[in-house]
Amino acid sequence: MATAFEFAPAIALFPLAAFVIALAFGKYMPKKGALAGIAATAASLVFSLWAFVTVAGGETYHETLYEWAVGDPTSEAGVQGIEFTFGILLDPLSTLMLVIVSLIALLVHVFSLGYMNAEGETGLPRYYAELGLFTFSMLAFVFADNLLMAFMFFELVGLCSYLLIGFWFRTESAPSAAKKAFLVTRFGDYFFLLGVVAIAATFGTLQFAGPESFVDAAADAIDGEETLFGFGAETWVTITGLLVLGGVIGKSAQFPLHTWLPDAMEGPTTVSALIHAATMVAAGVYLVARMFGYYALSPTALAIIAFVGGFTALFAATMGVVKDDIKQVLAYSTISQYGYMMLGLGVGGYVAGVFHLMNHAFFKALLFLGAGAVIILMHHEQDMWKMGGLKDKAPVTYYTFLAGALALAGIIPFSGFWSKDEILYDAFVLGLEDPVFGVAYAMALLAVFFTGLYTFRMVILTFHGEPRSEAAADPHPVGPSVTFPLATLGVLALVAGVANLAPIAKLTGMDITYLEFWLDGEYGVVDGLTYTAYTETIGYPAGEIVSEQATLLIAAGLGLGLAVAGALTAYVLYSGPEPVRHTEKLGSVYGVLRNNYYQDEYQVWLARNLTLPVARGADRFDQGVIDGVVNGVSSVSLFGGGGVKRLQTGVVTNYAALIMLGFLALLLVFGLHGGWFL
Amino acid sequence: MIIETLIAVTLVGALVTFLAPNRIAGKLAFAISLIPAAVSLWMFTAFDGSGNALLEGTLAFESRFEWITLGEYTISWFVGLDGISLPLVVLTTVLTSLAIVSSWTPIDDREAQFYGLVLFIEANLIGVFVALDFFLWFIFWEAVLIPMYLLIGVWGGPRRKYAAIKFFVYTNVASLVMFGAFIALVVGLGDAVTSFALPEITEAMLDGGPGEFAGIAGTTLTSVVFVAMFVGFAVKVPVVPFHTWLPDAHVEAPTPASVLLAGVLLKMGTYALLRFNFTMFPSDVVSTFAIPIAAIAVISVIYGAMLALAQTDLKRIVAYSSVSSMGYVILGLIAYTQYGVGGATFQMVSHGLISGLMFMAVGVIYNATHTRMVTDMSGMADKMPVAVGILIAGAFGYMGLPLMSGFAAEYFIFFGAFGSEMLEYAPIFTALAMFGIVIVAGYLLFAMQRTLFGPYRLETDYEVTRAPFHDVAPMFVLLGLIIALGVAPELIFDMIRDAVDPILGGEL
Repeated sequence: MATAFEFAPAIALFPLAAFVIALAFGKYMPKKGALAGIAATAASLVFSLWAFVTVAGGETYHETLYEWAVGDPTSEAGVQGIEFTFGILLDPLSTLMLVIVSLIALLVHVFSLGYMNAEGETGLPRYYAELGLFTFSMLAFVFADNLLMAFMFFELVGLCSYLLIGFWFRTESAPSAAKKAFLVTRFGDYFFLLGVVAIAATFGTLQFAGPESFVDAAADAIDGEETLFGFGAETWVTITGLLVLGGVIGKSAQFPLHTWLPDAMEGPTTVSALIHAATMVAAGVYLVARMFGYYALSPTALAIIAFVGGFTALFAATMGVVKDDIKQVLAYSTISQYGYMMLGLGVGGYVAGVFHLMNHAFFKALLFLGAGAVIILMHHEQDMWKMGGLKDKAPVTYYTFLAGALALAGIIPFSGFWSKDEILYDAFVLGLEDPVFGVAYAMALLAVFFTGLYTFRMVILTFHGEPRSEAAADPHPVGPSVTFPLATLGVLALVAGVANLAPIAKLTGMDITYLEFWLDGEYGVVDGLTYTAYTETIGYPAGEIVSEQATLLIAAGLGLGLAVAGALTAYVLYSGPEPVRHTEKLGSVYGVLRNNYYQDEYQVWLARNLTLPVARGADRFDQGVIDGVVNGVSSVSLFGGGGVKRLQTGVVTNYAALIMLGFLALLLVFGLHGGWFL
Repeated sequence: MIIETLIAVTLVGALVTFLAPNRIAGKLAFAISLIPAAVSLWMFTAFDGSGNALLEGTLAFESRFEWITLGEYTISWFVGLDGISLPLVVLTTVLTSLAIVSSWTPIDDREAQFYGLVLFIEANLIGVFVALDFFLWFIFWEAVLIPMYLLIGVWGGPRRKYAAIKFFVYTNVASLVMFGAFIALVVGLGDAVTSFALPEITEAMLDGGPGEFAGIAGTTLTSVVFVAMFVGFAVKVPVVPFHTWLPDAHVEAPTPASVLLAGVLLKMGTYALLRFNFTMFPSDVVSTFAIPIAAIAVISVIYGAMLALAQTDLKRIVAYSSVSSMGYVILGLIAYTQYGVGGATFQMVSHGLISGLMFMAVGVIYNATHTRMVTDMSGMADKMPVAVGILIAGAFGYMGLPLMSGFAAEYFIFFGAFGSEMLEYAPIFTALAMFGIVIVAGYLLFAMQRTLFGPYRLETDYEVTRAPFHDVAPMFVLLGLIIALGVAPELIFDMIRDAVDPILGGEL
């Protein structure tokens, strides 16, 4: 009887096959490669679910399957004998993520039938091939059992984002956005790769789990108070952990490397859904969760993660309030929501962070696909000020979008409420004890208000009021390949919170925190990769006000209250048949927000006004000074100025003769030295 | 005798092609070049050597005859292969065959002579990598220059004569420096050596080194020779500040000459550095120069990449990026670790494939547009989807995309360098050099965005059509090899490691 784990590689290989098929034969196929992609991602989903169920049955899987490069331990001691391998780690975290990724990928493929095929796009085989490669890369990244393999597929995820963001390459803006996405994340990945190299060179292993893992090696080094590369062990763990975090900040679009993500809206909306919900952006936060044991060893690194997360959550949410393009609003909401996940992980809320990662995958995929449906309805108009009144004309889109919006804003009982509340609660109780985390919590809490505001500003402007353009008055109909994914995700956005009703569990004492049990190894588990183990390593205190229950209610009340306040503010400001642009009343603040705090400006300045002139200066120096010396030396000392001119007769045979003479002269020199003629 | 056959077939083939009618020369040269390619691939599968050729390793396909005896020294025909040289021989033969196919479109003048010279280069390149006697090696080493000089000088661009002379004089002067230094060293070794066989000289060097010579102490002589040879080879590599011949040569050279120049000729320099400076000299001598060499490596990587960023000629971009990539090789060598030196050797092969691919791709675009200026075109992806697709793949290979050979090479080098014991401040040097991976992405992505994407626009008056099959087929082969080596670096890393280990003083 074959087990699920024997087929584990197939989970990733199905979409790879779809990539090859779509690329080679896509243009001859009825749906230009879509069916291959749908079949492959459906198969991935089935095998992921099978693996998930098997893990639920108490088994886990951790095998090295392929030796990529093998050091030779017999000839050289120490870390130079390291083996770099590919392996698969299937534990509660990775199987959960596999299911999420393959499900979203499948729905995005189905939706693409309505979004891309029906709209008569050209280049569809390329689109589906790249989508397949994207899914393959992400799935392989998710089940990677070591850091190098994770890095490799992390980079491939970046490549696929580049290709898909630049899908409409005949425009000016899409290739530019694609380049920016790759370049900014590459900058982060530079630190990541340096971290991989440093960890490998320090501990001689890159395994995530098991007795041979770098996490265990680091823990031992800290216990043994070893000195690594001239630093104390804990400092070195912090340094290397932060280097890896560079890649996370780039991919998960955290401050200050978030600037690529809004531009990435140049890609097809389906691609945005995949990037934001389940692949590129999710990869960063997933990596932190994957190697959480390592970060748990370094309180400094965790504090930085929490702080970056809290800051990014607020920072991005404020920008989301002033955007006019529906996809731009969603882009900033993604940055903000991943900030929450970072905050959750940074305060030790491993379960909370992963919970939000899951819920966000569902509701953000829903919102992007919903936005895609709106764009179809609106005949490719994305400006929300030209929409309005779509509520009655497209009820499925409206109600599913509304479900996603309620989840995003964190309104009870939608899924986003439960996970965001858990993150805020974890940050709150820690913040009561430690003011640094208190500040991070305060920023994230304030962001809740802005989230409610921009979310419902978007919903109201898009769907409510009167149509403000001809397109809005007469929307293009959408088919079942659009509504089916929306309905599926809409249900998930509503009910996914049931996975971990932590507040209810705490208040009533019921054992219903299933996700926590799942990640804590109540079912199958790989040693050391449990919530309890992480919590013990971190050892954060938990403060409380009066009692745990009271603290819980205060935290939840604050979060929910602010979210509702934000939503109501949006309603007051923008409902009615003729909404007004209130944002402009903010004056100079509006300018700052509108220009994204000038983050793009300074990064473009760094590239265009600093690096490029330096490069040009280096070029002039090279041509003038270095090459000038070379030419000067050759004309003065070798031949004399006139000699060179005479040499340049232009007759090739002369040169050939000269070369032979030179060669003979060399032989003569050699002969004299060697004593031939003595 | 298989190596002799390999070289002889190629030389005879060169002569036949040289005398053949122009009309059939291209096809004929390709057919002939398949023989050495096939032979070298067979040698690759039949390879039974172990260890390092210079350090008492077991040579594969060894062949040794006494040739000339002069005074106290014997000069031999001495050839053989180890895990370092074999991959480079295969690279040479495969790349030559592909370069010949890529010449069919652009070369339309004196074809017989052109293809004859290409095969003549191939024979000598093979010689450089198989020769184990200094004298023999030096003949091949110098003989490579002549046909390359002619390829640039006759079939090159508008400033071909300047570029060809610069290439020839610069590298030849460097050879002279290296040659003089080496002879001084051999003489300094005195009675310890009786031949120019490289293994014997290596043994004498590691077994005490040269005694006093012409009033100079042996240790001083060793250091002076190390530096002189390093400089001599550094010009060939080239590293900053000896690199200025390279962009001129590449810009003027016809596409196939660029493919061979970047693909194989530059590796002569790094190969010689590895064979001579990093194998013959004891580790304590090498370590004396560790910091300056690492500094040169870092400067080559970053400065070379910055220069590439400033260019608007596609070929100059790729040319300067070679300077940058070769800097990684130097860093790997000076790391003096298994992954460092092994990675450096891997990078020689990998960069040969990737830069060959890039020059071919740029050449195909040039064939269609008759311009290489970034500012002259945009939206080429619309007109030449397949060629542009391969160019994009090659560019990502150059950027070190995982599962392509460039990533494996760079990762090995970075990992090997980071933990280097020979090099002080190794992590800092590694971190600095690694920043090259960001700049390379910058200049390639910028160039691609401007030339390949956006609305179609071309400043020259040519009708751009899809590239013919024989233009893209060699690029597909190279792409396949790049991916194969990226997915399974052990295909060659296994034998490289085996040959590198003895250098580092490892016991088997």
